Amino acid sequence: MEQSAPASNAIVLRPSVEQSNIAALRDAYAKMQALKAADNRSWIYWAEYHGFDRYDCWHHAGTGPPPGRDYPYDLFLPWHRAYLQYFEHVVRDQNAEAIPPWWDWTSAASHAEGIPKAYEESEVDGAPNPLAGGPMPKIPKEDVERTTRSHGAPAELPKLSSPTPESEGEPLPSVESLLALTSYVDFSRQLQNIHDAVHGWVGGQMGVIATAAFDPIFWAHHTMIDRLWYQWQLLHGVNNIPPNYSEKVLAPFGLTVEQVLDVRALGYDYASSSASATPVPAVAAQAASAS
Amino acid sequence: MANLVTSAPIPTASLDAEFTRADIEFHGLDHSGATYEGRVFLNRADASEQTPRDVPEYAGSYFVFGHGGCLGDPGHCDATPRRFYDPRSAHPLTPIVKVVIATAALRRAKAGSDQLTVTVVPVLLATNKAVGEPQDLVLYEQVRIVTYR
Repeated sequence: MEQSAPASNAIVLRPSVEQSNIAALRDAYAKMQALKAADNRSWIYWAEYHGFDRYDCWHHAGTGPPPGRDYPYDLFLPWHRAYLQYFEHVVRDQNAEAIPPWWDWTSAASHAEGIPKAYEESEVDGAPNPLAGGPMPKIPKEDVERTTRSHGAPAELPKLSSPTPESEGEPLPSVESLLALTSYVDFSRQLQNIHDAVHGWVGGQMGVIATAAFDPIFWAHHTMIDRLWYQWQLLHGVNNIPPNYSEKVLAPFGLTVEQVLDVRALGYDYASSSASATPVPAVAAQAASAS
Repeated sequence: MANLVTSAPIPTASLDAEFTRADIEFHGLDHSGATYEGRVFLNRADASEQTPRDVPEYAGSYFVFGHGGCLGDPGHCDATPRRFYDPRSAHPLTPIVKVVIATAALRRAKAGSDQLTVTVVPVLLATNKAVGEPQDLVLYEQVRIVTYR
């Protein structure tokens, strides 16, 4: 058995795509994509938790057990946080420097160019870019071996702010207006609407639940969604969630909702960006100044 | 182009006169198929994909991230209700709720007419071979106007 280097137990700062170690990320993703599907370190194995053929994911408000058993609840944000945490460690096993980044689709660069270039180049050093597409399992009625995209116009991506209240004339409220919502359920519903819009904007396999997670941009999109929830928590309270959510188990990950509320307890935090500055919690600021 | 859906008229007199926020809620919305934008117009039953979003009747959009059709055997995607003691969460295709915050548009509609209709113009964003391009993208059980002071 090969002896591996000791794992880092430090809290990681999840970077933006622009700040991330793209070479390390490509290396880790390429290694995962080369593994056979049944290997529990493989790209397909982890993507299948979300869609075909396991469908463990949570989406949309209003779902839950039958009336009388519990109040309706929606585990969209907590479930994806747990999913991302597991995925991140699987990625880091392949390359210790690879931290899945967030794609800020509100940034000026995204509104000019759309998907980040690092995720768009079809080839890198003569090989398929593992950030541009991922392998697909055999799916009924689908005959593609790697994911593709058919994205919309960059200007159609969600906006950080709006010159008018409620983003009049816009299809979506601005991200800033969402962050001002004080109810978790309200915020989660509206953020999920933006999330849905970006999936549709990217198109291709990313455009439907069954196949979205096979596309590498899925992970950058969901890390952005998780980061926005984190930003909302900084404004409105880390534990600000309906009480009946707390003990819900995020299957199959074995974590409860309560256990995923504090990102630092999960071993990560978010680096800020110039496009949309992230409020840095005091404890993170101390860690940064000490390093 | 997929079919648009227009609600029955809703009397505006029943809406609170002093609301500070007003939402259009779609309950029992189907999300089993393709991914689409539902453009919501008030008192504009002749709206289409070509109707610009800057008209005063445009209230906002909701987006549905579609499941992508049924890739299992027959019955796999039947959203049967769970039994009381069933520990599983609801079937993934249980119909959903979407909420469009539309305070200004509802204020205009209330001021301009004693009734309003809600028209949804679906714009297909993403699909797959299992779903194709269905005509009936917008399927919901109920639309509600909810106001807050």
